[in-house]
Amino acid sequence: MEPALGIQNINSGYKGAIILRDLSLSVDKGEAVALFGKNGMGKTTLLKTIMGYLPKKGGSVHLFGKDITRTPTHRIANMGVSYASQEQPLFADLSIQDNLGLGLARESEFDERFADIEPIFPVFKSRLKQLAGTLSGGEQKMLLVARGLMMRPSFILLDEITEGLQPSVIARIVEALKWERQQRGTTMLIIEQNVSFALQVADRYLVLKQGEIIASGETDSAESAESVMRHLRV
Amino acid sequence: MALLLDWLSTAGILFIVASGLLMIFGVMKIINFAHGALLTLGGYTAYVVTQLDLAPWLSWPLALFTGILVGMLIEQFVMRPLYKRPLDAILATWGLSIIIGQLIVMTFGREVKFADTPLPGTWSVAGMDYSAYRLLLILVAVVLCAALTALLSGTRFGVKTRAVIMNEQLASALGINAGRIRFITFSLGAGLGTLAGTLITPLSSLDPAMGIPWLVTAFMLVMVSGHSMLSLMVTCVVLGACQMLVSTYTTPVLGGLSIAVLSALILRIRPKGFAYG
Amino acid sequence: MDNVTVAAPAGAQHTAGTTKIGWGVPILIAAGLALLVLGPWLFGGYLLSILIKAYFFAILAVTVDILWGYTGYLTFGHSAFFGIGAYAAGLMFLHQGFSGGTIALGLVLAIVASAALGGLVGWLSFYRGASPFFATVISLVLPIVATQALLSGGTWTGSSSGITGYETFAFSLETWYWISGGLMAVVGLVGWLIVRSDAGRLLTSIRDNEERCSYLGINVPRVKIILLTATAGVAGIAGFGYGSFSGVVAPELAGFVLGTELIIWVALGGRGTLWGPMIGAILISVATAYLSSSIPFAWQLILGTAFVLVIVLLPQGLIPLLIKPFGLHGQAGKIPELVERAAPETHAGTGPTALDMQGVTKSFGSLNVLQGINLNAEAGELIGLIGPNGAGKSTLMRCMSDGAARTAGSVHLCGRDIERRPPEDCVRFGLGRKFQNANIFETLTVAECLRMAGTTLEKPALFRRQPQLALPPYALEVVRKTGLDAKLGTVAQDLSHGEQQALELAMVLGLQPKIVLLDEPTAGLTKTERTQIGDVLSSLAHKYKLCCLLVEHDLDFVEEIATRTVVLHQGEIVMQGSFQEVVNSDLVKTIYSGAHPAGHEESN
Repeated sequence: MEPALGIQNINSGYKGAIILRDLSLSVDKGEAVALFGKNGMGKTTLLKTIMGYLPKKGGSVHLFGKDITRTPTHRIANMGVSYASQEQPLFADLSIQDNLGLGLARESEFDERFADIEPIFPVFKSRLKQLAGTLSGGEQKMLLVARGLMMRPSFILLDEITEGLQPSVIARIVEALKWERQQRGTTMLIIEQNVSFALQVADRYLVLKQGEIIASGETDSAESAESVMRHLRV
Repeated sequence: MALLLDWLSTAGILFIVASGLLMIFGVMKIINFAHGALLTLGGYTAYVVTQLDLAPWLSWPLALFTGILVGMLIEQFVMRPLYKRPLDAILATWGLSIIIGQLIVMTFGREVKFADTPLPGTWSVAGMDYSAYRLLLILVAVVLCAALTALLSGTRFGVKTRAVIMNEQLASALGINAGRIRFITFSLGAGLGTLAGTLITPLSSLDPAMGIPWLVTAFMLVMVSGHSMLSLMVTCVVLGACQMLVSTYTTPVLGGLSIAVLSALILRIRPKGFAYG
Repeated sequence: MDNVTVAAPAGAQHTAGTTKIGWGVPILIAAGLALLVLGPWLFGGYLLSILIKAYFFAILAVTVDILWGYTGYLTFGHSAFFGIGAYAAGLMFLHQGFSGGTIALGLVLAIVASAALGGLVGWLSFYRGASPFFATVISLVLPIVATQALLSGGTWTGSSSGITGYETFAFSLETWYWISGGLMAVVGLVGWLIVRSDAGRLLTSIRDNEERCSYLGINVPRVKIILLTATAGVAGIAGFGYGSFSGVVAPELAGFVLGTELIIWVALGGRGTLWGPMIGAILISVATAYLSSSIPFAWQLILGTAFVLVIVLLPQGLIPLLIKPFGLHGQAGKIPELVERAAPETHAGTGPTALDMQGVTKSFGSLNVLQGINLNAEAGELIGLIGPNGAGKSTLMRCMSDGAARTAGSVHLCGRDIERRPPEDCVRFGLGRKFQNANIFETLTVAECLRMAGTTLEKPALFRRQPQLALPPYALEVVRKTGLDAKLGTVAQDLSHGEQQALELAMVLGLQPKIVLLDEPTAGLTKTERTQIGDVLSSLAHKYKLCCLLVEHDLDFVEEIATRTVVLHQGEIVMQGSFQEVVNSDLVKTIYSGAHPAGHEESN
């Protein structure tokens, strides 16, 4: 069976700097993979490359069997990929409703989709017209996840969204992601510094160092957390 | 009273002329130097309608349509390749205005011409008679401002456009085709420019170079006003008043320059101009 | 200042002293000179008078090329200065008669008035944070204001018909031809010498990367204002000549149309080449003169279309393309010899503290990015600044290097208060900043980039290319260790990423700074390159006693070289100490694992 995401030998980087060297990895349909690594090691570069923000210099990326190496970003998004990153979270000057709804193909689907995520994130229901910039940091991150879920994606990419969140909020997000996988079998690739959060959601993990994968493993074993921490050397 | 109406109609005319430019500048962050030529194109559309003995109102949709068409061609063949070179994009649009200008001269000749006004005569306002057409233009400006604001805030297209203006990368990640948004807004902005040309022609005359002074004025207004249609309206009202006062108390020549000079000074002192935040 | 010649390293390609120029150049120059000298015998009267005017326009085109092609300032209004010069001639001769005194006075007036206006426009257009659009739009307003001023001058300025019938030089057509041709040749030559010289590279540096220029201590707005003033003066002289020759001056000479025509000539002729715009201006002026009667509209249409096509498809211009087959390439100059400049000794422990930050805060509205930062650093220290993403590390760097960045608190560099001063002043106080992405001058060669770095210490020569390039010993080390000394003639954008990073570091070191800020110096480097840069930084601190401060994510790297580690989290310094202390502390472990340390719970 074809993997949901297949990356073969890609090189990518910014303006001459090669950050990812000859990287290959694959994620099967329905899997959730956590990607660890210290900052500057290429994790964000990887997601940006998949999403088409950065040009690929050599190699290829396949999504659900289709070659997306040269596909523009918005088309990748329309293939069912949801990307949330702490770097570019949301439109502060647009309303919560607009932020949630922008990813949808049709405005009419809003109510139905919103009903999906409302039980998980009840805080938005009465505040749809509020400007997204007025939300607290934790609420903004929840908005990110909610927006992604509302798109009913087949593939979710998350880039360090739990940065600076309090434990109760993190727990809620874990719940949301688990629900999503259970309901719809969504495939996920999650970048995190928060090892415990990622290990709760993911089946498998990879450790990235200087643009290369140096370790991997299953997340269900008790030693996995320690092994990851060792690799991160913090 | 006449002064008040002069002021409002001047502000209205300024808004109508600058709105198309703001639409393009807001989304694409470049200045469309072809705006003056598009204005002239609109003027000649009114002339053609007059020559063909058709109802002058017809020039409005005709101009809009022509402008949109020309805008689509320009965006596709000139703006798109120059997306990463904004200063060159300005130059290219200037070159286009030369081309359009020359084509107009070749078709119509250099002499000053006139177009019929859709609304001749005067209306009685507060006990005095004032040019009906100028009053109509005040109305048109207000309607236009309302319509464009509604378009940008109320519709889905408007929300997508504002998203692209705020953060193009994020908008793409949500599936919004930024390229298409740019295409539509440029064409619309061009159409507004041509429409403006056709609207202002009945006020005086038209000749192949009529667009140039409006070009500079519109730019200064756009640079000072920031990004929203409302702040543009405010800018037009304020600077329109200044222009009028200078024209009345000194010479009309200085009045014509006042907007440009004042805008330059405002921007030098407060680079954000009239935009809030 | 001791200049000790460093022996060329064995194996280096020693191309110092060679100049590579295609064979076409001398032929072109000879042909041009021949036309200038022999013109009166080759051309008829009508063509001569066209050419005389065209040569004056060519001078104007050269000035516009210097402003736009070399420095990146797009101006539609340079014609205003030309018009002022022309009217200076017309007005002076009409109202004051024609005599030796009025000639001199007129010329002086032409120069002073244009230069003064140029300075004013420069002040208006070039300031910290100015947008290039704004400068261009001002340049649009200028000719319009000038034309209106002339039009409203009534009978004194002749209004729309201009001034005519004044007495002027009784030279023959031939003499005028040699005068204007000669003037053009002189301006062309001087211009060429300047842009080729070391000082001329400054113009291209500004065009390529203004930020880097300010971080090399160069006051960019001032340079641009001076440049505009000078070129305005030259344009005024050309205008004076034109007005004296033609006997008629009209407002169009100061106008918008001529101003935009200049841009077209430069674009078609090839911006940034100097001779291209010159030839372009002459050819187009001549063609216009002959064709505007036979095919007036079509000619303008052709020009406009050619212009758009060139902008979109051939930005380097038509004429360079047409002449390429004739071997007109390769402007490579001599590669300078590397020479060591003795750096002043810094002794650790004496002198003012390198960096002293007290209570520094940075907020965006209600969002606090940095709060209450107190940080000291001494000469000889190597401080690693670590912390998770969003902790505020880059903001902290900015507050150290730019007086306008912080919201509150004080920053002293080597004992000097940076107040609200711009980066170029901070650099003069002893700061050097290396950015995360290689912030260099893409179209300059390695040697030229390095020379730019020394601008505050050693003013670059105005008309020559110095045969030697002096660098302080630690900069030389970087250049030699990374192999850049063999690539002095390579254009910066052709270097590999690691080499570009090394070049930037060498440039920053060329400033002879007392404190060096480095933003993620190891990003994107290979293992070898990391080791190299680690060695370099260590020796900077330990051997040369510079104070180094780096923001880093690679903790292995920090562990190797830092003398002190500072941890930043959510805008505050939470801990400082030796690397081992810091990394093994519970506080830091919790910060990095993403959970929240007690007492920092986020409130909803």
